[in-house]
Amino acid sequence: MSILVPLILLLLALAGAPLFAVIAASAMWGFWQADVDLMTMAINIYQVAEMPVLVAIPLFTFAGYLLGESKAPQRLVRITDALLGWMPGGLAIVALAACALFTAFTGASGVTIVALGALLVPALHKAGYKESFNLGLVTTSGSLGLLFAPSLPLILYGVVAQQMALETPVSIDDLFLAGLLPGLLMLFALSAYSMWQSRGLERDQHPFDKAEAWAAIKDSAWEIPLPIVVLGGIYSGFFAVSEAAALTAFYVLIVSVVIRREISLVKLPLVMRDSMKLVGAILLILAVSMASTNYMIDAGIPEQIFSFIQQHVSDPLTFLLLLTLFLLVLGMMLDIFSAIVIMIPIILPIAVEYGIHPIHLGILFLANMQLGYFTPPVGMNLFIASFRFNKPVMTLYKATLPFFAILLLTVLIITFWPGLSLALL
Amino acid sequence: MTALTRILHRAEDGLLVLLLLAMIVLAGVDILARSLFGGGLVWIPPLLRVMVLWLGLLGALLATRSREHIAIDLASRLSGPTLRRVLAVISSVFAAGICLLIAWHSNNFVRFAWEFGDIAFGRVPAWPLQIIIPISFALMGLRFLLQGAQDLVAKPEGESR
Repeated sequence: MSILVPLILLLLALAGAPLFAVIAASAMWGFWQADVDLMTMAINIYQVAEMPVLVAIPLFTFAGYLLGESKAPQRLVRITDALLGWMPGGLAIVALAACALFTAFTGASGVTIVALGALLVPALHKAGYKESFNLGLVTTSGSLGLLFAPSLPLILYGVVAQQMALETPVSIDDLFLAGLLPGLLMLFALSAYSMWQSRGLERDQHPFDKAEAWAAIKDSAWEIPLPIVVLGGIYSGFFAVSEAAALTAFYVLIVSVVIRREISLVKLPLVMRDSMKLVGAILLILAVSMASTNYMIDAGIPEQIFSFIQQHVSDPLTFLLLLTLFLLVLGMMLDIFSAIVIMIPIILPIAVEYGIHPIHLGILFLANMQLGYFTPPVGMNLFIASFRFNKPVMTLYKATLPFFAILLLTVLIITFWPGLSLALL
Repeated sequence: MTALTRILHRAEDGLLVLLLLAMIVLAGVDILARSLFGGGLVWIPPLLRVMVLWLGLLGALLATRSREHIAIDLASRLSGPTLRRVLAVISSVFAAGICLLIAWHSNNFVRFAWEFGDIAFGRVPAWPLQIIIPISFALMGLRFLLQGAQDLVAKPEGESR
C-alpha cells in the first residue's frame, strides 16, 4: 500500500495530469497517513501571502510579457547590432547578448524564442550563416541568461531554499552575484563558437557606424535606463528584488502604454491575462509544494534518501556527477519552475550533507536545467522552436547538437568548480 | 448555463486586471513614499502580499480555463487519439477531485478564522482575504470536471471530419 499510492501518482503525472494536483495529492496522502488535519493544506497555501519576495513574480512576469508584445525586441536587436555588430561573428554575438538580456528579464518561458527568434533567424540568414547554425543558436539562446538577475528561476530557488531554514542562509542577492560569472562563461563559450563559425563569411562584418550607433541609442532612449537602473540597483544592493520588480513593472507599463503607445488599452488586459496565467501556474505549484515540503521534512525523507545514497556514494565528486546526470534527465521532463519547487527540497539537504554550498547548488541546478530546455528528445524549447520556425523537430535536434556539447562542457565546469559561483560573494 | 459562465469569466478577468493594476500602482507608491518621505504606509506591504495570493489563484483559474497548467505532456505526445482521450479524462477527473478536496478543507480553515476573529493586519480580519482559497479551488474543481465530461463525450479527432 505504501508504495502503491506514490506509484499511481507518478503514473498520473506521466499521463499528463496537472503537476500541482499530483503534488497536492502526495502531500495530502502524507498528511492523512500522519493523522494531520487536511486543513493544513489551506494554511500552507496561505503562506504565499506571507512571503514578501513573491511580490516580484507577478510584477516581473507582467513587465516581461509587456516588453515581449511591444517593439522593444526590435530596438534591442538594433542597438546591440550597432554596438557589437562590427566584431567577427558580430551578428551571432548580437543574437546571444540580446537573448541573454531578454531572458533574464522575462524568465525562460519560451518568450525569447517567440519574440526575438523571428527577428534573428532571417537576419542571420541574410548575413550568410548556415540555417542549422541559426536555428541552433536561437533555440539555445532561448534559455541563455537564466543565471543573470533578475531571472525568475533564480528568485524562485531563493524562495524555496529560504523555506528550508538552512545553517547557511541563501539570500537572493547572493544568488544574483553567484550567477554572474557562470552566466558569462556560457555567453563567452557560445560567442567563441560563433566567431569560429563566422570565419569566411564576408558579408557578416560591417564597420562600426557612429551615426547608426547614435540613432539606435536615441531610438532605445526609453529602454536603456531600465537594465541600468534595475541591474545596477540590484547588484549594488540599493534595491530589494521586489522593489526592482515594482519599478520595472511601473516603468514598462508607462513607457509602452502611455509614452510609446505600442500596447493599446484594448490589448493591455489580454497581456495581463496571459502573464497572470503563467504566474498562477507557478504560484499554485509553489503553494502546494510548500505543503509537500513540510510533510517531507517532518517525515525525515531527505535524511532517509541521504543515508541510502551514502551507502553507495561516499565522495562529493561522484555525487555531483550522478546529480548532473539526474538533472539532465529531469530538466528535459520537467519545466524549470516545477523542477525547483519539487526537487530542491529533496536535493538541497542531501547536497549540504556532502558539503556543497547551497548557493553553488542553486547555480549548478539552474545551469543543468538550462541545458534541459533543449536536450533531445523532449526539451521544451525544441518544440517551441519547431513550432515557431515551422521545422521538423529532427532538424532542431541536429541543429542544437554542437551548442549542446559546448554548454554541457560549461555546465560541467560550473558544477565541478564551486569557486566560479562563489568568487563574488 | 452559458450566460452564467460568461458572466463568471468576465468577473474573473475584470478582478484580475484590476488587482494587477492596483498592485503596480501600490507597489510604486510604496517605493516613492519610502524613498521620498523616509517611511512607507504600513498597510501597503501586507496588502501587496495578499494580492499576490489572489492574483496567483485567479491566474490559476484562468490557466484551468484554457488548459494551460504545467504538466508533463510526454504520454499525450506519444500516444494515439483514443489513448490520449482516455488519459485526458482520467487527468481531469483526478485534478477535479483534488481541487474539490482542497476547497472543502480550506473552507473549514476560513470558517475557523471567522469564528475566532483572526486578524490579518491592522484591523483587517483574515477571513475575507482567505476566502479566495476555497472559492478558487472549488471553481477549478468544477472546471476540471466539466472538461473531463467534454473529453468523454467529444468525438475523437479522426472521426469528427
